[in-house]
Amino acid sequence: MSGALAGYTVVDVTQGLCGPFASLRLGDAGAEVLKIEPPVGDVARGMGPPFVGDESAVFLSLNRNKKSLTLDVMHPEGRDVVRRLIAGADVFLEDLGPGEAEKWGLGYEDVQKINPKLVYCAISAFGEEGPLRDLPGAELVVQAMADYTNSLGRIGEPPVRLGSDVASLNTGIFASQAITAALFHRARTGEGQRVAVSLLGTLLHMRGIMWTAMSDPDDWYGFHLDHYTKPPDHGYKTKDGQVYFGLRRGNSEDWDRLLITLGMVETLNDPRFAGWGRDATSIGRYAAEVKPLWEQGFKEMTNEEVVRLIHEFNGDAVPFMDYPTLFAHPQVEALNIVQDIEHPTAGLFKTIGPVWRFAETKAEIHSPPPTLGQHTEEVLGRLGLTNEQIQHLRTQGIIR
Amino acid sequence: MPGILDGIRVFDLTIAAVGPWASKLLGELGADVIKVEAPEGELSHVIPPPIKGTAVLYISANFNKRHIVLDLKQEGDRAIALKILEKSDVFIQNMRPGAVERLGLGYDVAAQLNPRLIYVAASAYGRTGPMAKEAGIDPNLQAFSGWCSITGQPGGQGEMFRHLAHLDINTSTMIVESVLQALLAREKTGKGQKIEIEMLAAALSLQTTRVAEYFATAEQPQPMGSAVTTTVPHQAFLCEDQKYIAVGVVREEQWPRFCQAVKLEDLRNDPRFVTNTKRVEHRAELIPLLEERFRTKPAAWWAIRLTKERVPNSRIMDFEALRYHPQAVQNGHIVDLETPHWGTLSVDGLPWRFSKTPAGPIRPGGLKGEHTEEVLRELGLSSRGRE
Repeated sequence: MSGALAGYTVVDVTQGLCGPFASLRLGDAGAEVLKIEPPVGDVARGMGPPFVGDESAVFLSLNRNKKSLTLDVMHPEGRDVVRRLIAGADVFLEDLGPGEAEKWGLGYEDVQKINPKLVYCAISAFGEEGPLRDLPGAELVVQAMADYTNSLGRIGEPPVRLGSDVASLNTGIFASQAITAALFHRARTGEGQRVAVSLLGTLLHMRGIMWTAMSDPDDWYGFHLDHYTKPPDHGYKTKDGQVYFGLRRGNSEDWDRLLITLGMVETLNDPRFAGWGRDATSIGRYAAEVKPLWEQGFKEMTNEEVVRLIHEFNGDAVPFMDYPTLFAHPQVEALNIVQDIEHPTAGLFKTIGPVWRFAETKAEIHSPPPTLGQHTEEVLGRLGLTNEQIQHLRTQGIIR
Repeated sequence: MPGILDGIRVFDLTIAAVGPWASKLLGELGADVIKVEAPEGELSHVIPPPIKGTAVLYISANFNKRHIVLDLKQEGDRAIALKILEKSDVFIQNMRPGAVERLGLGYDVAAQLNPRLIYVAASAYGRTGPMAKEAGIDPNLQAFSGWCSITGQPGGQGEMFRHLAHLDINTSTMIVESVLQALLAREKTGKGQKIEIEMLAAALSLQTTRVAEYFATAEQPQPMGSAVTTTVPHQAFLCEDQKYIAVGVVREEQWPRFCQAVKLEDLRNDPRFVTNTKRVEHRAELIPLLEERFRTKPAAWWAIRLTKERVPNSRIMDFEALRYHPQAVQNGHIVDLETPHWGTLSVDGLPWRFSKTPAGPIRPGGLKGEHTEEVLRELGLSSRGRE
């Protein structure tokens, strides 16, 4: 066996970012992913510019290791085919919205009858209960609803979102966890089940430290709480960029030497800098207010010089990287995380490969993202449909 | 009712957030998680604020576990650790290269003792390379992984996410994925294995869709405030009452409904805006029209209109608005947790629902070393001779 999910089949009707990221991870782990797209294609195929050839860069990044077949799920004959695929599969992944799959006869109660051991995963935007259950979701909308934009930007200025698509992608990871856990349970007991995740639930879960910090703190201070109200943090400015750093406990001679080297002699007796600067750097309580003093010290030094100096004094320091400098950095090279994929029409493109490094059940990229409906014939043929039946579906517009 | 990971034991030797949150999730899935701490206590304890004297991070990252203290510098306690390892299914550590081996808990020793063990070695930047010794601190990962470079006001500098735990917990979630996969594989093979994972790799994976833009164009994606490169309109708009509403038209069928909601039906079939790709290309023409329209009414009005037309939208919400909002309450996204040491706390809910084998219940963890005697006794390990 290669990946841990080798031998498992996933029927995936999701579109966009979240569901496809979940099924990408299952595919990286070796599952066969049958990606069902409407005849017009996954909405992510239209997310761009930028495009690589004719393909959306975002779509390419999310859909390796999958087979694509088109099927109009809104059409009863299309749904019949989906049900036949589900009958022979291990996992069904959908993001149609609470109650929607049920309307189309693809709810868990329906498909469990044809495949009692199925693991069924439902993704919703805000959760399956509550007044917002029927509202579709979007990345920014979930970030805004989950208090995330309040940890960015400045009070009184327009809201800032996280550039990373966290609501969508982190939910994809929780879906992958839930599916794998349910398959584990099934391996032990023979029992399938329905699992559910939501984008809002994901972000509210990941922000749990804040809920707890805000519910009954001994005092309103400390980095969990202060950072809620502080201005944007761009790190520590140097001559040629920004760095972020923290210090670890050392001996007092070295501490004096560091501050003197930086021309910060007056801070030697500043109580905010006591204890090897624990409170004066990084997440320390005085870090924000003494930042100008550090920046004065770094003014004539490059990022590289500051990082080297902090390392000399046993601290941790990193430069602020953008993507061009990051992907040229030897540490990213050492990680071997960027991989090349050859796509039949878009050509060669780079992507972030699987993150987990298993000694035995290796995760890997084995096939490029599919073109729209690339495997329709193959999958339907395998299902036992004749050429006539396939042609009929095509003339009805149910497949492309 | 037994959870999915009933009968699975996790030995957690990690500190702060990355490792502890991973084992917390495994505990919430029903595993028996043993948190092993040094006598002087782990880093979390000194990170403010506290609640009734215990650091919030320590409370929050350690639900569904039992807490024991072992002094791994002492031979006696190292022997106990090895015995626990023998009886465990999962071991999680994120010490610097060489450190865990010096404590006698390296992979070779562990695998020899327990061939069924799933051994997770987490690191910050990787075990080789110029940054292998660098500590894995969330804000440092944010700065280095390019995460800050795509976030901020347009035309401004990249900024840090001031909730300094997202990249930590992101790594935790990927650890949990890998552990679950390894447990599944073990059902077939009967064998454990070693898993390595890095915070930097996890942070890059979380930026997959934005990094894709860079790989496609060789250009740095710029901070865009509340907007994003590849979908339009997908940003916050200022309303008449000086409040913002976040809007996302992310499916093609939402565009006509959006036009209906904001009563700009003419835009619906405007060839410049008729598909997402066209809207992205003509963003500079479309957005000012929308900004002008949103300024004509208060946010509450637009929320009504957009919701009625089923277009994704939200006000900018904060803790007070969220805490008892029916959406959070009815779905258990944020819940009250009774704790013996810290009173009743608002805490994160479970991130998944299972129909046959529910996860949880969420249980508070404890204080440092609170369960040492109980756990050792239960595992048949003598505590005689320990200090």
